[in-house]
Parts: sequence; C-alpha cells; structure tokens
Amino acid sequence: MRYRYFTLALRLLARDWRSGELSILAAGLLIAVASSTAISLLGDRLRQTMVGQAAEFLAADLVVSSHDALPDAWLARAQQLSLRHANTEEFSSVLVENDELLLTGVKAVSSGYPLRGYLRTTSGDITEEVKTVDIPAPGTAWVDGRVLSALNLKLGAEIAVGEQRLCLSRLLTYEPDRRGDLYSLSPRVMINQADLAATGILQPGSHVHYYDLFAGDEAALKTFKRWLKPQLNPGQRIVDIHEDRPEIGHALTRAERYLGLASIVVVLIAGVAIAMSTRRYTERHFDVTAMFRCLGAQQSSILRIYGWQFCILGALTSLAGCLVGWFIQLGLLSLLKGLLPQDLASASGLAVAFGLATGLMTLLGFALPPLLRLRRTSPLKVLRRDLEPLPSSAWIVYGLAMLSIAVLMWRYTDDLKMTTTLLLAGLSATLVLGSITWLLLKLSRLLLPHVGLSWRFGLQNLSRQPQTSISQILAFSVTLVAMVVSLVVRTELLADWKQQLPADAPNHFALNIFGKDLDGFKRLLAQEGVTSSAFYPIVRGRLIAVNGVDVHQLASKESQGEEAISRDLSLTWSASLPLDNKLVRGSWWTGEPFQVSVEQGLADSLHIKLKDELAFNISGQTLRATVRSIRSVRWDAMTPNFYMIFSPATLDAYPSTYLTSFYLPAQRKTALNHLVKAFPGITILEVDVLLEQFQRILKQVTLAIEYVLLFALAAGFTVLFAAVRSSLDARVYEDVLLRILGASRHLLRRSQLIEFAALGLFAGLLAAAIAELTIWALYSRVFALAYRFHWEIWLMTPAIGAVLVGVAGFWNTRSVVNASPQSTLQNL
Amino acid sequence: MTEDSLMKRRAEEPIIAVENLCKQVTTSEGTLTILTSVNFSIKPGETVAVTGASGSGKSTLLGLLAGLDVPTSGIIRLAGVSLAELDEDGRAYLRSQYVGFVFQSFQLLPSFTAQENVMLPLELIAAADPGLKARALLERVGLEHRLQHYPRQLSGGEQQRVALARAFVTLPKLLLADEPTGNLDSKTGRTIIELLFELNQEKNTTLVLVTHDEALASRCERMIRLEAGTIQEEV
Repeated sequence: MRYRYFTLALRLLARDWRSGELSILAAGLLIAVASSTAISLLGDRLRQTMVGQAAEFLAADLVVSSHDALPDAWLARAQQLSLRHANTEEFSSVLVENDELLLTGVKAVSSGYPLRGYLRTTSGDITEEVKTVDIPAPGTAWVDGRVLSALNLKLGAEIAVGEQRLCLSRLLTYEPDRRGDLYSLSPRVMINQADLAATGILQPGSHVHYYDLFAGDEAALKTFKRWLKPQLNPGQRIVDIHEDRPEIGHALTRAERYLGLASIVVVLIAGVAIAMSTRRYTERHFDVTAMFRCLGAQQSSILRIYGWQFCILGALTSLAGCLVGWFIQLGLLSLLKGLLPQDLASASGLAVAFGLATGLMTLLGFALPPLLRLRRTSPLKVLRRDLEPLPSSAWIVYGLAMLSIAVLMWRYTDDLKMTTTLLLAGLSATLVLGSITWLLLKLSRLLLPHVGLSWRFGLQNLSRQPQTSISQILAFSVTLVAMVVSLVVRTELLADWKQQLPADAPNHFALNIFGKDLDGFKRLLAQEGVTSSAFYPIVRGRLIAVNGVDVHQLASKESQGEEAISRDLSLTWSASLPLDNKLVRGSWWTGEPFQVSVEQGLADSLHIKLKDELAFNISGQTLRATVRSIRSVRWDAMTPNFYMIFSPATLDAYPSTYLTSFYLPAQRKTALNHLVKAFPGITILEVDVLLEQFQRILKQVTLAIEYVLLFALAAGFTVLFAAVRSSLDARVYEDVLLRILGASRHLLRRSQLIEFAALGLFAGLLAAAIAELTIWALYSRVFALAYRFHWEIWLMTPAIGAVLVGVAGFWNTRSVVNASPQSTLQNL
Repeated sequence: MTEDSLMKRRAEEPIIAVENLCKQVTTSEGTLTILTSVNFSIKPGETVAVTGASGSGKSTLLGLLAGLDVPTSGIIRLAGVSLAELDEDGRAYLRSQYVGFVFQSFQLLPSFTAQENVMLPLELIAAADPGLKARALLERVGLEHRLQHYPRQLSGGEQQRVALARAFVTLPKLLLADEPTGNLDSKTGRTIIELLFELNQEKNTTLVLVTHDEALASRCERMIRLEAGTIQEEV
C-alpha cells in the first residue's frame, strides 16, 4: 500500500515512455545534466591544473608564513596527511667583503625545496642557465649576480654570512617564490639550511621570516588548511596565490569566473528546455489527469503520481546525463591534448555529483511549477474539454526557477556579487522588455488588415495569444542572451588579456639605479636599442600609523594590509596618475606636497579614508602625509605598481634610487651583461620566465574558455530546436484544420516561416537588450573590464534569432504540410 | 469519512437524492441560470434516463451528480453523503468508491493500451490483480483480441466497449453515462447500449443515462425530462 503511488507512477512512466511522450523532456534534462557535468568536470580539472601551475609560483601548494618555527604538532599533522614538507627562512643580512658593504636577502632552504617548480642557475654566462630542483650543497651559497659586482667577488670565492664562511658556487637567476614587489628586492643569497645554525644569525628577537611549504593531494591540503586556520596566531598566515602573486591571481580569478558563467549559461539554457518540454508534457496530460480525478484520484495523489514520475525520470536521465557528460569531457580534453600539460589533474567524483545535483535542481526549479498546475485539473474537464486548469501563479513559476538558478549560480561561482548582479540585471530587463514586447504584439494586430494572407496568418498566431507568445519569446531570449553573453565576454576577456600582455610586455626590471647613473643608464639602453618604461624614483619606508593609531591594530589577520605593514614598501612620487591606474575616490593633486594616493585594496583592508593622516618610517625618521585619493591598480599588468604614491617634493629629503622595466627578447640576453658591467650597482630582475609561465597559463585558460563557449553554443542551438518542437502541438492542429479547409501548402509554409521568424526576431531584440544590460553589469561588477556599447549585438542577435527560430520552426512543421491531415490529426 | 460510516448510511437511503438544485454561471454578459429547483431521488438498482434538448442542462446535472462540479445552491446526497460537506478530494474519494463513468467521447487515455485503460481505476484504488480483472472484463465485452491495442488503433465502437469495461471494472454502485452513443453510428450504438444494459443487470448497478434519444431513454425504468433547466416531467 505504501508504495502504491510509486509503482503506479513507474507503470505510468513506462507507458508514457513507450508512447514517446517523454522523449523531449528527457532530452532537455539529458542536455542539462550532460552539459553541466561536462563543464563541471572540465572546469574543475582545468582549474585544478591551473592552480597547480600557479602553485609553482609559491614553490608549493600551500605556504604558511610565520615569525617563528611552526609547532611540531602541525608538521606531524601534515605528515599524517601524507603532505610533503620543506621550509625556508628569510632574513636580511649585511655582507662585508673587500671593504664593500651590501644589504642582502638571505634565504636558507631545506632539502626538498622547491616542492613545486624549479630554480635556474648559471656558472657565469647568463645565456647558459640551467633548470634545477637541487639546492646549494652545505658549505656553499648561490647568489644574485649583483652580489658579485657589488662586493667585487668572483664565483668560487668565499663570503661570510654571519659567522659562517660559504663558497659561492653558482649564480641564481630564477627562484619561483620570490616575494614582495618584484622591483624592490635586496639581492638574494641562498644557502643550505644545514649551515643556518652556524651563521649564528638566528638569535631570539632577530627579524626572521619562516616559510613552511606543503604539497600533496588536494583533499589532504584542504583538510590541513581547514585544521590549520583556527590555530593561526596573528603573526602567522596562509599564503595565497591571489595575494602573493596578484598578477596571476587576478587572471585565475577571472578565468574561474568565466567558467562559472559558462556553467550558469548552460544550466539556464537547459532550464529553458526543461520548462518548455514540461509545459508541453503538462498540457498533453490535462485530459489524463482529469480522468484520474474523475475516477477518484485526490489532488495529493495526482501530485504524488507525477512527483514520483519526475523523480524517477530525473534520477535515470541525470545518471545517463552524467555518463554522457563524462565522455564529452574526455572528448574535449583529448582535443586539447597537445596544448595542455601532461599531468592534468584527475577528475573529481564531486564534480560528477554536482552534475547530478544540477540536473535534479534544474528539474525541480523548472519542471515543478508547470507540474503543480496538473494538480488543479478539474474533473469536470472530462465533460467540458475547453476547461483548462489555471496556470500556476507567476510567483511560483518564476520564483522557483530564479531560486534554483540563484542556488546553482552561487554554487558555481561561489560569488554572491556575480549571482545577484546577473539575477537582478536579467530580472529587471525581462520585466520591462516583456511588457514592451506585449505592447508590440498588441500593436502588430493593427498591421493585420494591411498585409497579405500568409503574413496575416503568421502574425495573427503570435498576437492572438500574447501571453503564450511572450513566454515563448522569453524562453528563446534567455537562450539567445546566454549564448551572446558567453560569446561577447569571452571575446573581450581574451582581447583584454592580449592587450595587457602584448608580445613585447616588459620582461626585465632594472632597480637600484642611483640618480647619478640615471642619464648614463638611459644612454646605454638607447645604444642597445632597448625601449624602457618610465623611470620611477623609489624610497623604502614602512607604514606605521593611520591617524595616530598603530597600523598593527588596524590590520586583520591574513589580510592584504597585514602583509603590507609587515615589510618595507616601495614609496614613489609622481606628478601625474600612472597610465594603468584609476582614481576611485578623491582627486589628483595639483602641486601641494605631503599628499599621498593609496591603492584601493590596501586602503579597504586598513580602513583608510580620504583625508586620513598616514605616518611612515623612512630610515628612522617619521614622515606624515594626508590621503588625497584612493587608486585602483592593475596588478595583472607587468608594469611597476605602487601601494603608495606621494605628491612631488614630499620625499625630497630622503635618498632615492630609480627603477624601470623593459622588454628584451631571449636572443638579446647578452645586452644584460653589458648593462651589468657598466653599472655593477644596478639590480636586473629577469621576469621573462615568470612572464612566459603567466602567458602559458593565460593561453591554456583561453583555450579552455574557447571550448567551453563552443559547448555552451552547441547546447543553445540544440535547445532552441527542441523548444520549437515542444511548442508545436497547437500550431500543428491549426495548420491541419487549415489544410482540411483547403489552404495551399505554399500558403501554410509561408505563414509558418513568417510566424517563427517573427518570433525569433522579437526574441532576438529582447535578447539584445538583456544581453547589453547583463554585459554592462558583468563588466562593471565582476570582470573589471571596460564597458562599451555593442552595436553589433543589436544587429546580429535579432537576425540570428529570426534565422534560427525560423529555420527550426520551418523544419519541424514540414511534416504537417507533407503528411495527410488525417494521419496528423490521429497523432495529435 | 470512513468506509464503515459510508456503508451504514448506504443501506437505507436512496443512492442519489437531489433537493432544490440550482446552478448558475457568470459570463461576460451576466449571470446565466442553467438549472433551477431540481428535485428527485434515485433508488439503488434503478435505471434512469435524463433527457432534454441541447442546452437544457443535462450534462451539467450529470457533472453535479458526480461531484465533478459544485451547485450554486441546493443539496445533492450521493450514497447518503451530502456533497456540499466534502471538498474536492472528499468528492474524489466518494467517486472512487461508488461511481463509474461512460462518456460520449470515450475519454480513453491515448498512451495506454486497452487493457491498461481498464486497469487504471483499479490501480488508483490499489485493488488486487488489476491486470486479471481488466482482462476478464475486456473478454466480456468481446475485446480479448484487442488487449494490447492503443485507442487510436481501435474503432469508435471498440473504444466505447473499452470505456464500458473501464466503467464496470470497479463494480460501481452508480454508473453515469453521458450520451454513450452520441459519437457512434446507429448500429454500433445499439450494440453498445445492449452491452451497457446487460452489464448493468449483471453487476446490479444503478444507471443514470443522459441522452436526447427518446428510444434509448424509453429502455430505462424512469425518465427525467429537463427543459431550460427545470424538470418538466418525470415518467
């Protein structure tokens, strides 16, 4: 008895299946689940791979920075989770050799370092560098070239680090996890951790930064991170790629957001398919349900019978969809094979589970409202065929669909901002434009007396039932919007990246250029045929107070602010706003000194407002300046960026050096030797390797985005076609009647084409407006892209809509005109 | 409502009692009265014809008797239970226990085979062996060779025979038939009527037959003639 409805539902389902009633619905659901699983899997694997590659910039998957060595219990926990571990200690130390002094950044590394990525070293000639995952042997040190020039040393010589003498065995040209702003570093001295104790530098109270590096399985890392977080004290923090390497972090974030957007797009498209096919299914089941009611089935029984049917159908189709999605993802990846790294992250079972959940969620959101309508079927319909149940309240229909989309969006993007932006933009546009369309449909009736018969038939069909037409137009619009938005965002995101990182993006930084060398350096660059960016003056200083309050009381743990106040910043001054920067609040100065412009992220993190007074410690003296403006900075551009820019003359009292960046192709690396020889005091920082890696990541992300887009478009086309099919019943019936009454095939074909093309045109116009609005919202709130008006959308979308829907409708109704009216009637 | 209380009330009372029944509908042109002050009762086992011209309110009356619709005023008791006391679900339950239907347009489910159509009412009340019972009844109406056919593969007469089998398969106390021969040629119609009366006798069912065919109506024990929504005569 308990399973009565279940078994009945099962039998009814089997009967419906056999008679072909379910095929369109099942196909819609299959598309939804297969595409969301495929994108979920593909996105997840690409994201994991990208994060893995980005991890090279941390030299590990997870880094904990601290002022002390980590407790043994933490390391034991990591070991228990089978995580690999290495650690480094970083501190400043002054080297004295040959009567020369040099402040260096010493880094002691343990065996196993780097856990991700590699080091590059040379034995002198910069063109002969080698990759290595080794570290300096005990008793030796690897150093930046500048250490040799500044201290008049050669490879093979000895230096004293603290009390320990070490042999300079190689030049270090690249280390993956070089921290801080790239162009304000002290020259590196890398030593083996085994020599650290002997240096005698590690005394209580000495200023040492400890970094503990971990690598391993993603799940284990997650567990470790979760376990670790609550135990961190204020001096400890988990280093994040997004903060530690903003230029890569930003690109990753945007790519992840795009993949998220694409997933939503596909789910939305599939949702439309499900809503339309469920609607058709419902309409075809009014009679059956009325008969159930007539035979004594109660409302709750009706709901249970159909509810079970949909659950069973949902579960079976979703499972099949997951399987199909899995294979699609494999297929896409095999297409991408040559372009992706060999060791692609493996697919996670969780992504499959999400695909499944997505299917059921979409089914619930889009199929439940039309299904609820069945429950209200009046049994009287068996006597009066025209009696149709009232449609479910618009609140339920749209509310449920919106809710399920919102939940899915939030889950995919993990981004409340993007979710609300998209939902609000879409919703308001739909409401306003839906009303306009309704008005247009009404107005189109005025045209009817003045047009030919086929035009009249075609347009009449649309304007006679404006509500039905609008819901169809909306459905097609949503699909078109989804397709247009994913296409446009992708195109402009890629263009933006390309523009931001042109082939000749600066790949070298020159720093510590003294004022007296500035002209000579510029001349030499010109002789070598190298064009550089602007030269920025640099003064090193530390932010100590905001409005007299110690900054350490203002920064929250693990924030950008906490990171920025714990080290010296590169302070600069400028008369004009740097090209890449944008004023967010306040205004640029016109000459008054002791004004400062603060980077937005840091300002937010430390709650700095306009007119606040900031205090800096520069070489032991305190400098005060008033906040004049807050700036946004493009961290993902490879040009010098600053947290603090002062008004000219503010920093005149302090010694400064200059920095610049320039592009040097690989085959002209020898130019560096000339520069270093002529200006031994200058530090050249080669970021070409980093840049290359960054560009490689962007290329992979780009590729992933291209394929995901293709997939979204394919899903869109399929659904448009299916949606047209599911709206045909009423039209077919009328067409058959017209044929019986003697309408010619030609007339019918023409009026069908006109009707569907007009439907597509309206949908396209609506879609263009919604897409434009959505793109604006996305650009300004989510992707940080510059918005421009897209006239091409307004031209292309209505045209594409008219062609696609017109062709799909024309194709789908061809059987009506070709088959005998009798057989068509019987099949209805 | 429990089954026991229903049984008790049923024994002594008429299967249908109608008092002062009125039905009005609101249209764009004002209120339209379809039935006015209709009174009658039907005893268990009776056969009653409801006749009248098109638009006289026959089908509305039938819908009200079955609890498919609610009257504007007046009382209908089905098996002693006032329909006004029940909500739509309560009326549905009552139908599942007492009422069988035959319609002019057959109302078979197109995606169900003949046998599945007959099984359906049994499945809805979770009766035992729906397949066997449906098969037996389909054999009784002469469709043993059509069990697995879909409605569109059957002739009009065959479809109505399936509908008869579906109506009788739950052994209802009351059978409501709405112009059962309206969509059939006269010869097939006669065959169907014969079958209807035979089954009615065999299963000892109360029959209420709506028809405008005087000859058919005269086969019933009683006739209620409706004209413009009121009972003109009871024969």
